[in-house]
Amino acid sequence: MWVPLLGLLIGLLIGTVLNIPIPGVWAKYLSIAVLAALDSAFGGIKSIFEEKFNATILLTGFFTNALMAALLAYLGDQLGVDLYLAAVFAFGVRLFQNLAIIRRELLDKMVEKRQLKRRKGDNSE
Amino acid sequence: MRFFKNWQISLAFVLFLTGIMLMLALHAVHGEGNSPIQQKNKKLIAMIQQQEEELEQLKKSINEKRKALNNYQKSLSDGKLETEKLQYELDKLQVLSGLYPVQGEGITVHLDDNTKGKELAIQKNPDTRIEDFLIHDKHLLYIVYELRAAGAEAISINNQRIIGSSDIRCVGTTIQVNAERLAPPFIIKAIGDPDNLTRVLETERSQYNILKMAGFPVSIEKHSNLVIESYKGSYQFTHAQPMKEE
Repeated sequence: MWVPLLGLLIGLLIGTVLNIPIPGVWAKYLSIAVLAALDSAFGGIKSIFEEKFNATILLTGFFTNALMAALLAYLGDQLGVDLYLAAVFAFGVRLFQNLAIIRRELLDKMVEKRQLKRRKGDNSE
Repeated sequence: MRFFKNWQISLAFVLFLTGIMLMLALHAVHGEGNSPIQQKNKKLIAMIQQQEEELEQLKKSINEKRKALNNYQKSLSDGKLETEKLQYELDKLQVLSGLYPVQGEGITVHLDDNTKGKELAIQKNPDTRIEDFLIHDKHLLYIVYELRAAGAEAISINNQRIIGSSDIRCVGTTIQVNAERLAPPFIIKAIGDPDNLTRVLETERSQYNILKMAGFPVSIEKHSNLVIESYKGSYQFTHAQPMKEE
């Protein structure tokens, strides 16, 4: 539980310290890549709750999604089509779905724990 | 247990990279000067600077090559009477064409915008045309021609050698000489008889005198030994050909 959070914190810190100037033109593609990365991360968390977690799928998905999203956005710009909107839409929708699933799973677990406690309490009486 | 470790580390890795990218993207988006126009400006400025750097390097290489060429010519002509004559002719032409720095007695003319006069005039009347208090391209042009008329043998403006094909023109807020942007104060160097040059510049209806009377901060200095830099540009003749004698 704490290792991934620590990873996120270190990443944020390093990102702040690095402060690499991204040329304005590429900022958009980086933003799309971030969206894809977030999608992958939430997808990973969801799969843990569903007990289907696969490190290979997570890692390959992370890299290919981020890269492909940025590339497609770039291609769209070259073609004069706002293809990045498609990426925003796809990743955005999935992000919220994953978030909803994670929330429900967490709630289920909390309810389970409470019931377990109550049962324990009943037994002890 | 191993599986457990695996998901923690791989997720940590993914989140780590996401964090870096997120911060970089935030910086990039919220950093200063990222509106499309500013980006374009930045790009253009960078392009101009790059081109100017390249130009500078090319100019340096031109100078080096000219020196090398001169050395070759000198070494070739050493000891041979015929070629020595040619070499003498060549040296003369090179001075004339501005390809070599020259020295000799002459004058420097200092010209600057009339900022004091401008401020006073604006205090009196806010609608004053500020252009009337600036040094313009035509002022330089007239003074250069007056110097030529007075027998100046070499002239430079802010170290830009004036040659036969030099341009002196107005480009926005600056004056372009030899395709190089110059800004005030302008220092015109001229090699020639200092007394004669000064006398011609100070005649009643000369451009120099007009500027002086209008209150511009202008001055003339005489020098016993003045160095004038060489012309850094290139000579290209695509249309003019020497006429063939029949």
